[in-house]
Amino acid sequence: MDSIKGYLTNDHRKCDGLFAKMEEAAMTFLGDAKSLAEEFIKETERHFQMEERVMFLEFEQKTGITQGPTAVMRHEHTQMRGLMKQLLESIESDNKDKFFGTCETLMILLQQHNMKEEQMLYPMAQQHLATESARIVDMMDSMIVE
Amino acid sequence: MEFQGLSTDQAPPIWVPLKFFITAPFFGVLFGLFVFFTPSELFLSRFSVESIIATHLLTIGFFGFVMVGALTQMLPVLAGAKIPKPKLLSTASHLLLVFGVLSFSIGFYINSSAILAVASALLGGGFFIILFGIAFAINGVKNLTPTIKGMRISVAFAMGIVVIGVYLLYGYVVKDIDATHLSIANIHSVWAIFGFAGILIVSVSFQVLPMFYVAPHFKSFCKKRVVNIIAFGLIFWMVLNLVGEFDFLAKFVISLFFFAFATTVWIKLNKRRRPISDVTIWYWRTSSISLAIGVLVWFFGELILDEYIVLASIFIGGGFIMSIMVGMLYKIIPFLVWFHLNASGYMSIPTINEMIDKRYLKVQFYLFIISILGFVASFFYLPLLKVFALCFIFSMVLLQYNIVLPVRLYVKTKKTKPDFDMSMFGDVR
Repeated sequence: MDSIKGYLTNDHRKCDGLFAKMEEAAMTFLGDAKSLAEEFIKETERHFQMEERVMFLEFEQKTGITQGPTAVMRHEHTQMRGLMKQLLESIESDNKDKFFGTCETLMILLQQHNMKEEQMLYPMAQQHLATESARIVDMMDSMIVE
Repeated sequence: MEFQGLSTDQAPPIWVPLKFFITAPFFGVLFGLFVFFTPSELFLSRFSVESIIATHLLTIGFFGFVMVGALTQMLPVLAGAKIPKPKLLSTASHLLLVFGVLSFSIGFYINSSAILAVASALLGGGFFIILFGIAFAINGVKNLTPTIKGMRISVAFAMGIVVIGVYLLYGYVVKDIDATHLSIANIHSVWAIFGFAGILIVSVSFQVLPMFYVAPHFKSFCKKRVVNIIAFGLIFWMVLNLVGEFDFLAKFVISLFFFAFATTVWIKLNKRRRPISDVTIWYWRTSSISLAIGVLVWFFGELILDEYIVLASIFIGGGFIMSIMVGMLYKIIPFLVWFHLNASGYMSIPTINEMIDKRYLKVQFYLFIISILGFVASFFYLPLLKVFALCFIFSMVLLQYNIVLPVRLYVKTKKTKPDFDMSMFGDVR
């Protein structure tokens, strides 16, 4: 069974791959990117929820820190949700410039967010939740997206 | 509002890095003007007063400012490391450094010991204030990633070159310049280029290439060993250089690993998963090619002719270091503007691509590349220098324009009321 850190880090890479595929499709024809964008957004939303509804809660309960890194990460999730919405809107209105501009912002935000999680939050979580690691990964894996 | 607190928690106040970033092109312009108005043959010797002024307008004024700005921005984001009193330290350091570079140039130009003494105090003070703040922040980091370790070594070299620099300036103040002085000046310049700038760029690339372009991660050996090997090579080189023999051995190690880094960057860019190709990618590629050529010229050139060091400096300083910096400014500044505005509750912010006109980005890139190639040509045929200095000035003016546009947008938007779109809070659990 994966560690919390390993499981969520792999999921980041999976979302990165979907993002790259979506951009590639959009380069030739923006309309082609629609289903890939939806897939990327679906997977990213799933990732956010795995954190917000499972891992962050466990972390906050265990450490008592609710206004620390998890609060910052939640805030960034909200920022990214806003950008993902704009991504779909730009596809709907067939605005390539807006689409790639939003991609650029989203990509940087996403990557620096991932980095903070992978280098700070996940190691912290792994350390505090080591004994419950398997249970938490299992819960995240079987979670149904709301 | 909690949001304010959160955003400042994860990134330093926007003006901390920005003030350094937007000052850099100004010194680029000054460099260009100085080269343009100075008789070209005075640049033939690397130790002439004119060469010293021109070099430092660029190395401190451009490279130094961008690196300090980048460190203040990256440390909190990459490692949660906080620089104490960032606004105060950065403002003090920025002012001291701006007047430090200006008094340095004027002091040399009019040959005034008093002004040079002031310059050494301003530059020494300006660098040490911010470098100690950065070192303090790094010291508090628990999870030391290869990038942070590399930054630590780079900052150590920075401190070393500042101490050496102040010592060298003191030599000019008391007018005591002997052979040892030139030998120490050589160490100062090689450490500055490869130790401070080179190691910082290598370490940051470990994060930035996978992050911005979804390029494959660097191999573990690369991340864990290369920076240490280069640092060891640079110290080894200093010892051999002072002894006066066999310094080519250490030079070989340094050149080899930077050459390997250059080719690795090229390969990583080829294997990146984001297919999009923009000006920043072109800058990375330019940087990679220039570094590869630059270290070859540095290693082999001096065996043929001492003056080849000037050619190596054009490739490494202009082609490698400056290209990466300009490329990264284009990525970072619009993002910072977007990020800070968004965190303050502004919702309808133009995207990164809408903040700077892509056509101007391209024109700036071409002007810059033509100037670098032109400087190379001028090395072989000096009368060309003025033409390309002019081209360089245009490229720097356009760079200044391109990066001030997003900053202006930030200032203008901040004067309006934030939207506070409540849907933003909707999904926060």
